[in-house]
This record gives sequence, structure tokens and C-alpha cells, in this order.
Amino acid sequence: MDNNQKLDFIKKIIKVVEKSEITELSYQEGEIKLKVSKNSPVTQQFSLPGNPQFHHVSLPSHQPETRNESGSQPIDAKDSAAEKTSDLHEIKSPIVGTFYRSPAPDADPYVQIGDTVASGTVLCIVEAMKLMNEIESDINGKIVKILVENATAVEYNQPLFLIKKD
Amino acid sequence: MFNIEEFDIKLDTDYLGRNFVYVEEVDSTNKFLLQTKEYQENGTVLLAENQTDGRGRLNRTWLSNKEQNLTFSILLNEGINPSLINIINLASSLAVAQSIENLYQLHVELKWPNDVLINKKKTAGILLESSSKGNKIERVVIGIGLNVNQPNFTGKYNIPPTSIRLEFKKVVSRERLLSELLNNLEELFTAVEHAPDKVLNDWKNRCKLIGEKIKIISGEETKFGIFEDIDENGFLILKTQSTKEKIHFGDVSLR
Repeated sequence: MDNNQKLDFIKKIIKVVEKSEITELSYQEGEIKLKVSKNSPVTQQFSLPGNPQFHHVSLPSHQPETRNESGSQPIDAKDSAAEKTSDLHEIKSPIVGTFYRSPAPDADPYVQIGDTVASGTVLCIVEAMKLMNEIESDINGKIVKILVENATAVEYNQPLFLIKKD
Repeated sequence: MFNIEEFDIKLDTDYLGRNFVYVEEVDSTNKFLLQTKEYQENGTVLLAENQTDGRGRLNRTWLSNKEQNLTFSILLNEGINPSLINIINLASSLAVAQSIENLYQLHVELKWPNDVLINKKKTAGILLESSSKGNKIERVVIGIGLNVNQPNFTGKYNIPPTSIRLEFKKVVSRERLLSELLNNLEELFTAVEHAPDKVLNDWKNRCKLIGEKIKIISGEETKFGIFEDIDENGFLILKTQSTKEKIHFGDVSLR
């Protein structure tokens, strides 16, 4: 299967689960591994080998009776789904502007790859029209990737950093 | 001394300046208000008679004589819409322009993004700083440095400076000016929410460089072209021979 076929396949599975009374389905064949759960609004992650992008799909929450009939406990399902969810967290830009890794041209960068950061640690600045916006981390973790070059333009919601959650 | 009673009597706002902090000296009003998390009231205004580290863009310094000018910051921390943040920025310079026009009938021009000029000389500079977490802008501080009663300027400046006193030929009331400014600003903030196009148009009407050949120094690059317009997000549209470019920041001057 190519990636498009894989996506179609995944979408089909989601539809099947959605319409059925199944609350959770794990499936593995060769390089495809996926898990669909509809007990909680937790984001589901599907990993497609050879495709570094993650496809996030949020399922709508369902009526309580479906859950009751299922026999599985919603809290457990939520926990296990959360565990399987990617532990990589994206920090995105809230505004359009220019991305800077340091507070001034001659200053050291706020963070480097491998740095441990806490919620509230300043990661970068995005500037737009004499507005200097400091972007803070919203989680504790470790910087694994910096996705944008210093002093380049970023769009609204563009991912800037990948942080591995603690 | 800043006469708080005189300021208060003319203040006609719901929230801007209702929590008013007056200090003799601080490093930077922006820095202080952004970092001091105990100030939580939306619209808090911090006025300092002296800044020991007053700042502009790129860590440029802002110099101002004690007790003659207005150097202050305004805190916004409720319901900040990230997509309107640039319009808030433009509205801040528009409020300064309107206040000077209303009180002293001086002719004021605006220079992108937010300098306020009288007779082509700079009378106010504005720097916004904000902090965001996740996708949410949590705090915005609008720092305004306004040359009011300073009688002369020495030193080297990017744009020649002036003060209201120099242009109006009279010492004016800082208290009256600050209350007028906050009154206008609060009205404009409401307009930003409901009619951002009108704010953009009012701003454009005071910008004389639109349509002119300009030079813009943006980071390490110098660009030339025609200042065609500002877009709906407040960015400058620079028209060059081959293309149109959206400029996020930079120092604009006539070519």
C-alpha cells in the first residue's frame, strides 16, 4: 500500500469503529500499526512508516450508553490511549512574523537541541511590527528538534519546536 | 511630579488606567509590567518618571528627561485575539495621534509600523512585548514613550526627535494628555474588535508614505520599492519591479 491507500484504509477503520459498538480497536499488520478508541476525546495517533508526519485525528465524543454497553472502563481506555499518543509535543507560533532564537542578534540562543525545558521557559521570539512576542514552553520536556531557521518568516500556527515530553 | 488627581478627573475609561501605578524609576516599564506577574488587572498602567533601561526595537535605547515626558506601559491580559494583535499595535499609534490632534491641533503623521511624527520629527515611539504559551497570548504590554515637555534634544537619533512643547510652543499638561490618550485608546480597542477595517483606514489616512518610493531596512537586508498598502493584518506591502512582498518589520524611510 502507498501512503494514500494507507490513509484510506485507516479512515475506513475509523468509520467502522465509529458506527459499531466497539470502543477500542488495535490493529497491526506488517508495518501498519494503529489503535482506534472512541471513549475519550484524546487525540489518536497513527504511525505510518516512511512518512515522518503524524496524522492526528480527533474522534467526536460518543453517547454514554455506548460506553456502558461496552463493558470496558472509560478511564482505563483514556489512560492507555494517552500512553500510546506520541510523546512529542509541537510548539507553534501564535502569530505571523519573524522567528528569532535569541533575544538580540549578538546574544546566545534561548535554547538548543537537547536542552531540558520547563513549562514557562522562553524558547524564542516572533516579531511582527515592533511587537516582540516571547513564546514559552507549555510543557516540561527536552528539545528534540528546532524546525525553523533563525530570522526567517513564520506563519500562524507553524510548528517551531518539537519537545519530548517528560 | 505627576498630579494623579488631575489625571484621574479627566480619565473616562472603564478599564484602561483604572489600576494606575506611578513610580519614580524603573529599568523598563515594559519589562517590569511583563515580568511582574502580581500585576494581573487588565488595563493596568505603569508610569515611570525615569527609565534606566528604556528600550526600543533591537535593544535600541529610549532616552527621556525626568518629569518632562510620558514613559509608560499598558498591560492587556484578557481576551487577546492573536489575529488582531497587529491592529492593536497600529491602534496604539493612532490613539497617540488623535490625542495630540484633539488637544493641540497639531498635524500628526504616522510612520509604519507605529511611530508618531510631528513635522516629520518623531514625538512618540511604541514597542509592544508579549508572552505566549501554547497558542495563547497571555500578556501584552504596550510601551509608549511620548516626548511632551522636553525643551531640547542632544545626541544621535535615527529619526530627528521633537516634543509637543517644541511644536506647540507651550508647556502642556502631561496629566491631561495621558487621560486623553487612554480615553481614545480604550475606544479604539473596542473598534479593533468590531470594526478593524475602520481602524486600519484611519491609520492609513495618517500615513503619508503610502504610494511613495521607500527604502526599508529589514534585518540585514535593505529593500527598495513602492509602499503600496498595508494588508488586513497590518503588514506592509512592498511592490518591487517583479513582485509584491509582505514585510513584517523594518525601518521605513523615503528613498
